[in-house]
Amino acid sequence: MKILLTFCLILSFSGLSGQDIDSIMQSMDSGTGNEPVFATFKSPKLVLLQTNETQKKQELIFWVGHRFGDISGGSRTLFGLDYATDIHLGFDYGISDDLSVGIGRSRFNETYNIQGKYRLIQQLEKEMLVSVTLFGQSSWITRKESFDNEFPKESDKISHFLQVILARKFSPSLSLMLNPGYLIRPSLQVEDVNDKASFFVLGMGGRFKFTKRLSLIVDYTLANGLDRPGELSPQSYNPLGIGLEIETGGHVFSLNFQNARYITENNFIPHTQSSWEDGGVRFGFSISRNFYLGPKDNQGKKGY
Amino acid sequence: MSRKIKIVLFFILLVVPFPGMTQGLYKSTGAEIEFLSSAPIEDIHAVSRKGISVLSAVTNEISFRVSIRSFQFRKAKMQEHFNENFMESHKYPFASFKGNIEEDIDFSKNGEFPVTLTGIMEIHGIEKNREIPATVNIQNKQINLTSIFDVACEDHDIEIPKILWRNIAEVVRVEINANYTKM
Repeated sequence: MKILLTFCLILSFSGLSGQDIDSIMQSMDSGTGNEPVFATFKSPKLVLLQTNETQKKQELIFWVGHRFGDISGGSRTLFGLDYATDIHLGFDYGISDDLSVGIGRSRFNETYNIQGKYRLIQQLEKEMLVSVTLFGQSSWITRKESFDNEFPKESDKISHFLQVILARKFSPSLSLMLNPGYLIRPSLQVEDVNDKASFFVLGMGGRFKFTKRLSLIVDYTLANGLDRPGELSPQSYNPLGIGLEIETGGHVFSLNFQNARYITENNFIPHTQSSWEDGGVRFGFSISRNFYLGPKDNQGKKGY
Repeated sequence: MSRKIKIVLFFILLVVPFPGMTQGLYKSTGAEIEFLSSAPIEDIHAVSRKGISVLSAVTNEISFRVSIRSFQFRKAKMQEHFNENFMESHKYPFASFKGNIEEDIDFSKNGEFPVTLTGIMEIHGIEKNREIPATVNIQNKQINLTSIFDVACEDHDIEIPKILWRNIAEVVRVEINANYTKM
C-alpha cells in the first residue's frame, strides 16, 4: 500500500505540474485577441473601383492601367488590341499607414487627377466587422477644347468624386466591399439635357482567392438608374469588370475584362457607353509595384 | 492506517496540488524573439516582444510561445507577405517550443549556465524535434534565458518562391531573450 501511495504521489506530482505549465501558458495572453485584419485586398484598385487598401507608411506604389478597344472589333482590330481607349499612370504614397495621397494622369481627355484615401475604421478580428475608408479624387481635363468655349472657365474642366468604402474580409479567401459614392461635375461636362451633373452611385466588389497568389476579382457600379436617369443619349451602361489578380510579392498584376473604356471614376462613371451584351467588352491589364522609401535597416541596431 | 483513510489520502493527493509544485515555477511575458534572414539582396529582420514562457525549476520543463502576427517588420508590406504567404498566420497563429532543460541547475544560486533545451518546436504547423543551446543567467532569483538557433524554412514547409530566393534566406537565424520572474 505504501508503494502504491508513493507511486500516486509521484504521479500526481509530475502529472499535475505538467498540466500546470500548459494551463498557465493557456491563461497567458500572447496577443491574438483582437488584432487588426490586414490585406483585405492586394492593390489600391480592384478592376475599376478603389479598394479599402491604403499605402503603408513611407511606401510608394506605381500603378499602370491599360484598356484596349472593343472585343467586337474582331480579327480586324485583333479583338481590340490595336486600340488603347485609356492608359493611366499613377503614384500613391503613404503619409501614414492610414492616409495615402496620389497623383495620376489618364490618356482620356488628358486628365490629371489628385486623390486622397483615409482609413477611418479598421476591421478587427473580434470587435469590428468592417473597415471604413474614405476616398476623394479631383480630375482636371487638360486637352484642347474641341470647339470654341467648350470650357469657358478653368473650373469647368474639374470634377470631383467622393466615396465611402465599406470592406470586410470574411475569410482569407473571400473579401467583399460596398462603395457608395457621389460624383460632382460642372454642368458643362454634361452631354444630355436629361442628365444630372452630380449624382450618387453605388459600387460593389469582391475578391475570391484560389491560391496564395491568384484571385478572381469582380466589381460593379450601379451608376445609371439609381440617382442618375437610366435613359440617356448617348445611352450609358453600368460598369462591370471581371479579372484575375496575380501577386508575385512586389508586383500585383491584374488581367481583366470590362465594358468601361476609361480608368478613373470621374471618367468611367459618366462615360461608360458600351455594354457587355453587344460586344462592348474590352481586355485590360494593370500592374502595380511597391517601393519602400523609408530609412534603411541599420545593421546591428535592434528594434525600429 | 485504516483502509478508509488511505483511500481518502489517495484522492487528496490526486486532486489537491502539492504545495511544492507551484513553487519553482517561473514565467516570462514580453519575451523578445528576433529573427534575421540574410540573403544576397537584402537582410530582413523582424522582432516580437510578445513571447510568453513558463519554466519549472523543479521538473526542468520549459514551454515557449509567440504569436506570428506580433512580429514587426520595418517594411509593412513585408510583414503582410510574411503573414499571408509564408507563415499563413491565419491557419497557424503561433510558433512554440515545449521541452526540457537537460542540465540540472540550482536555480537558487547566482551564475551563468550554458544549457541544452530538448523538445518539440512547432512552426507553421510542423513539429520538429530540436536540441537548442541556450544560456541561463541567474541573478538574485531573476532568471534570464538567451538562445540563438537556426530555423530552416524547408523543415517547416515554408515555401519561398524561386523568384525571391535572392531576397529571402532559406535558413533564418532566431535570437531569444526572456526574463523570468517567480510565480
